[in-house]
Amino acid sequence: MWWVWSAGSRSLYFPPLESIVKALWTQWVTGPARAELASSLEHLVAGYAIASALGIGIGMALWSLRYAREATSPYLYFLYVLPAPVLVPAAMTLFGIGFSMKVVLIAFAAVWPTLLNTLDGMRGVDAVKLDTSKVLGLPRWRNALQVVLPAAGPQIVAGLRNSLQVAIILMVVSEWEASTDGIGYYIVSAQQSFDYVGMWSGIIVLAIIGIVANLLFVVAEDRVLHWHYGARAVEGGAR
Amino acid sequence: MTIRGLALRYGLRLGVLATALGLWQGLSAVGVIRADEFPSMTQTASALWDQARTATLWTAIGQTLEGWAIGLAIGAAAALVVGTLIALNAFAYHSVIGVIEFFKAIPVIAILPIGLVLWGATLTMKFALVAFAVFWPLAIQVCYGVRSVDPVVRDTASVLRLRGPRKFALVIMPSAAPFIATGLRVAVAVALIVDIIAELIGGGSGVGVRILIAENAGPSAYPVMYAYIVVAGVLGVLLAGAFTVAERYVLHWHESQRSAAGDKQIYPERTEVTLAASLSPGRWPGAHPGVAVRRPARRVVGVVGWLEVAVFPAA
Repeated sequence: MWWVWSAGSRSLYFPPLESIVKALWTQWVTGPARAELASSLEHLVAGYAIASALGIGIGMALWSLRYAREATSPYLYFLYVLPAPVLVPAAMTLFGIGFSMKVVLIAFAAVWPTLLNTLDGMRGVDAVKLDTSKVLGLPRWRNALQVVLPAAGPQIVAGLRNSLQVAIILMVVSEWEASTDGIGYYIVSAQQSFDYVGMWSGIIVLAIIGIVANLLFVVAEDRVLHWHYGARAVEGGAR
Repeated sequence: MTIRGLALRYGLRLGVLATALGLWQGLSAVGVIRADEFPSMTQTASALWDQARTATLWTAIGQTLEGWAIGLAIGAAAALVVGTLIALNAFAYHSVIGVIEFFKAIPVIAILPIGLVLWGATLTMKFALVAFAVFWPLAIQVCYGVRSVDPVVRDTASVLRLRGPRKFALVIMPSAAPFIATGLRVAVAVALIVDIIAELIGGGSGVGVRILIAENAGPSAYPVMYAYIVVAGVLGVLLAGAFTVAERYVLHWHESQRSAAGDKQIYPERTEVTLAASLSPGRWPGAHPGVAVRRPARRVVGVVGWLEVAVFPAA
């Protein structure tokens, strides 16, 4: 539909889809923009990996340390609701505009949804499960790893998914504001040089990244939480 | 938890805050943090105070809220109408839901350049982006909510011959409401983030652009930058908190809000004593039989209770 409608478009802002697709091929698949894509994905993967590890790790630590949890929870919440893009200018003044700035920024912004969801999930574990594990005399670490963590799984996954969205946004914002590489940089320089075809191709690449990331996530979630959905289906069927 | 435990909790919290602020000031004073990279706590606080005395801060907040509110209202209204219409028809639902999921997966930020090119750094650009960002996830939420009506309730409604608007208002809306509330809670946060990105990158006026201006003005303006970052965070807390309070009022009848209270009655030993509850019995969140209070004090207790719900939801 878009193709037909835009085929004869003379509008400066909405170039024909055909030329966008061409640009997509020449720029992103075979051309120079491949490097931008690679560097963006590097930032994203590094930042997101750090954020996930820290989020789950710190979440578990706080779960087991009650006083630390109660003392810090309002501040964790504050950092969670703080709209993370406002940190970009601050991060620029602290870390310059290099690789480390982006990774630190993505990790810092994306850690909170995972952390708070991990904590929340582990706190919300069914009391019967906890009592059972107590009766079985499971040691503290086995209780944490084998009972509480899996039970919190669905919520942790939800947190990870939120974190991923935040990470993608931060990836683009940080490249946009302060960078010499990456997709965000490509889009902004295309826009500023009135290369609207290039801009649209960048937008489409971003959309594809978002959708592919989402798909990968759904597949992974299905694998990891297979038992959960199975159990829920059985429960639902029994009712 | 006892009242002593409660005092300990708030003592610890204040302690953490004091330590963090003290550390910040101390490290700046000693010179571990360089003043031209990261201003000291007192500098930031005084910059915040200066901004708060002039109109700049308040206009910036007003402008940010303007984009947030208009965008959220448009996006939410559209999502409500479209979501309901789609969900009521099985064919429409199955053909459209994939498209909506697809758009939902697109990072909002990808749309920003289009908004910039079309509208420039204007209020229209801000609220259009916010509305776009809010629409997709909320529409999905509304769809799920409308389709989640309990079959027994639905059959009862059809036995009673409830149709059209009455069915919508009496049967569908109440059971979809919690889903919509969840979607709205996310939307409130997303709208603020998108609004601030539109200011920060797109240059629409508001808190975001103030941060950018301060950053570009060089090290002497860094305290102002951090002051506005703090403002953005406080804004986030207040908006999310206001939503939580509103949700309690509107959905007080629903299980998701009631279950907590019900559990507490079954297991009194697990009851959380909140600050408000320790001061007063009554109908405030976390209320708990405690010491009776005189009427003027009740107001205060009520406010404290809401603050606990709104600002410290994760204890």
